Amino acid sequence: MTRPATQRIVAVLVIGLLLFVWELAVAWGWLRVYQFPPPSRIADGLREMVTTGFPTGITIWSHTLTTLWRILQGYAAAVALAIPVGLVIGAFPTLDRLTASVVVFCRSVATLSLLPLAIVWFGAGELTKVVLIGYGCFWVMLSNVIAAVKQVDPALVRAGRSFGLSGPRLYREVVLPAATPRMFAGARMALGVGFMVIVGAEMIGTIEGLGALIMEARSFYRSEITILGMAVIGLLGFAISGGLGWLQGRLLPWESGLDAVRR
Amino acid sequence: MEDAFRGGIRNAALRHVCVRTPSVMPARVDHDAVAPAFGGAPSDAIIEIDGVTKRFPGRPGPAVTVLDPIVLRIADNAFVSIVGRSGCGKTTLLNILAGLETPSDGEVRIAGIPVRGPGQGQGVVFQQHALFPWLTAAGNVAFGCRDPALSKADRAERAAELLRLVGLEDAAAKYPREMSGGMQQRVAIARALALDPRILLMDEPFGALDELTRIEMQHELLRIWSARRKTVVFVTHSISEALILSDRIIVLAANPGRVILDLDVDLPRPRGRADPALLAHYERIWAEISA
Amino acid sequence: MSGVRAGSDALLGLAGICIALLAWEAAARSGAVDPAIFPSPTQAIAAATARLGLADVAGHAAWSMARVTGGFLLGTVAGVVIGVAAGWYRGFGLVARPLIELLRPIPPLAWIPLAIIWFGLGEPSKLFIIFLGAFFPVVTAAYHGVTNIDPGLIRAAQTFGLRGPALLWRVAIPAAAPDLATGIRIGWGLSFGVLVAAELIAADRGLGYMIINERNTGGSVGVIIVGILIIGMLNLGTDAMIARAIDWKIGRWHGN
Repeated sequence: MTRPATQRIVAVLVIGLLLFVWELAVAWGWLRVYQFPPPSRIADGLREMVTTGFPTGITIWSHTLTTLWRILQGYAAAVALAIPVGLVIGAFPTLDRLTASVVVFCRSVATLSLLPLAIVWFGAGELTKVVLIGYGCFWVMLSNVIAAVKQVDPALVRAGRSFGLSGPRLYREVVLPAATPRMFAGARMALGVGFMVIVGAEMIGTIEGLGALIMEARSFYRSEITILGMAVIGLLGFAISGGLGWLQGRLLPWESGLDAVRR
Repeated sequence: MEDAFRGGIRNAALRHVCVRTPSVMPARVDHDAVAPAFGGAPSDAIIEIDGVTKRFPGRPGPAVTVLDPIVLRIADNAFVSIVGRSGCGKTTLLNILAGLETPSDGEVRIAGIPVRGPGQGQGVVFQQHALFPWLTAAGNVAFGCRDPALSKADRAERAAELLRLVGLEDAAAKYPREMSGGMQQRVAIARALALDPRILLMDEPFGALDELTRIEMQHELLRIWSARRKTVVFVTHSISEALILSDRIIVLAANPGRVILDLDVDLPRPRGRADPALLAHYERIWAEISA
Repeated sequence: MSGVRAGSDALLGLAGICIALLAWEAAARSGAVDPAIFPSPTQAIAAATARLGLADVAGHAAWSMARVTGGFLLGTVAGVVIGVAAGWYRGFGLVARPLIELLRPIPPLAWIPLAIIWFGLGEPSKLFIIFLGAFFPVVTAAYHGVTNIDPGLIRAAQTFGLRGPALLWRVAIPAAAPDLATGIRIGWGLSFGVLVAAELIAADRGLGYMIINERNTGGSVGVIIVGILIIGMLNLGTDAMIARAIDWKIGRWHGN
């Protein structure tokens, strides 16, 4: 049997065993139900979330969509702004050295620490959350776009020059495509950041959204719904990063080949 | 590349391998250590390769026999080269001698003791130097002195002594990444010698070096060997390298790996690359390999 | 040559910050927005010093730093031990990896409600969240480092008779050190980000608390801004320190 297959089987067995032991442990009183809601209770909670929803009327789909929609708005705005700005900064070394420290500092500001400020400026509504996500995603994406341009293999640039390309044409036809894989990686990183920010941002001042769900559930002692919400968040994160990875494989098939050539 | 030697490199500097001009070699070379005749009468066989074979399971398909039964006896303090094309099993044989691989059949005995695993006191030098990057040259060599009876200071002293032997006393505090390929291999040799091994196994140690450094290192190895006599088993794909260095050349063919020629090279060292006796041996080996 | 370059880089960097600050100052003073809501840097600092004493702020900062350091150390030790063990001992890895991979996609902040359920509202719950922030990057880096060691190094070490735990300790771990260092640096950054959020949501001391408390009690925006800036500078400063330490210990021998 091949190693990956063995690994997968063992993984399934281990997780299955864990769930089984967990269920038993609660049934036998070793673990408290409130702190460790057993899989059976979580399953019940799932049924409830899918039908009537929690808080009443807001199903799990609704929560998920709310969260996704917030991420999407902030993320799209951030990326749309970061790419052109980053390309310009990356193209002019002096500009880069001038702005580098500002970029690094703004990136170092913990995005969620801006939440109170954002509430003062934009109120407690949707805009605040979108702005927050946008902020977090923007600086990460910007750093990566700048790095992507700066780290284009000089050999490629030399090759382009030897064909008589220069200036904007060189930039467009050699530097840009060469920088795209790194920019894609930056886009993935930025989405991850956006995801982390929204989960935190939703914990204050709202009852809709996955982050809000798990907080609300706790204050109503519905710990199984909290765990359910966490699982959905995890699944969502996994799906997002997996989806982007797949997209990268489709859109940039030459990247893996390039790596092999470089080696 | 072999053709260049057959044509005869008339470059005076290369005509006599071990005569060094100060501009080429480090000034501290002790010429006296190089001069005395080598090839004294070897004592009993110290390495016995007794019917060793190696098979790898086919994936899929039938098993691949890398080594057919090899029977060899290697004398103490002899310098033996194993020559062959890539894939003829010479590295596998060396790994078996080092205890890094186990034979499918047969056994290897060193000084009568069967080899059961690595770390039985054989010094090994690899083609990729395999120096520990987080240790300095001195640290790497001291790594080899694993005798618990030695104090840290003693170990450091031994390391310094060995670095002096390989001509690197100034580089003791350098890290591998700060050294050239030739320097790295010298440290690797010093490290292997730190074990004070009975036998030294070398797997194409100069294969990753450029031509000129390689020739320089061949000098160095002979000089070191004359100062610290050991049994050396030297794997190489270069016939000329084997001829310059060894008392005995064992030629392996591929598929399956087997001995097709076992030649004693009874010429005094230092040996000239264009020496007719050497070239005669060369022709003989070349004929066997390409047959 | 590189000294001059580095010097001019630093100068330009500083110039960039000054320009940004001046722009901010100008924008705020232009009076377009109410200074109570959008103060300039000088106004913010003035308001902050009026509201809170230096001792208060320093106290909050100390609490935050203590928390993040504690949680980070716990997460790093656990991450290194588990990651190295999972990489070195195949059986353990087969069991541990699925569990870790299962939990990894869940952001540390999403654990906050559960942490409160398990540990209550006190320090342990916050330490736990920060622990998670450091744990995942470190365990991944440790695993990757141990499983990607140059096999030639292991072979070489074996020829010197090293086996088992000695091999792990003297060779595998130093060889994995560069990867470990990267993971630790990332882990610190994540811990820091998580710290602030954790303090915003459920704390009674610390910089995050200071900020949200100001907002909740309808206080001065200046304090909020100053708090944000302090957090940013602490993050930057500590990251730079870690980078220097790594460079000093590992930079000497690593890299081509």
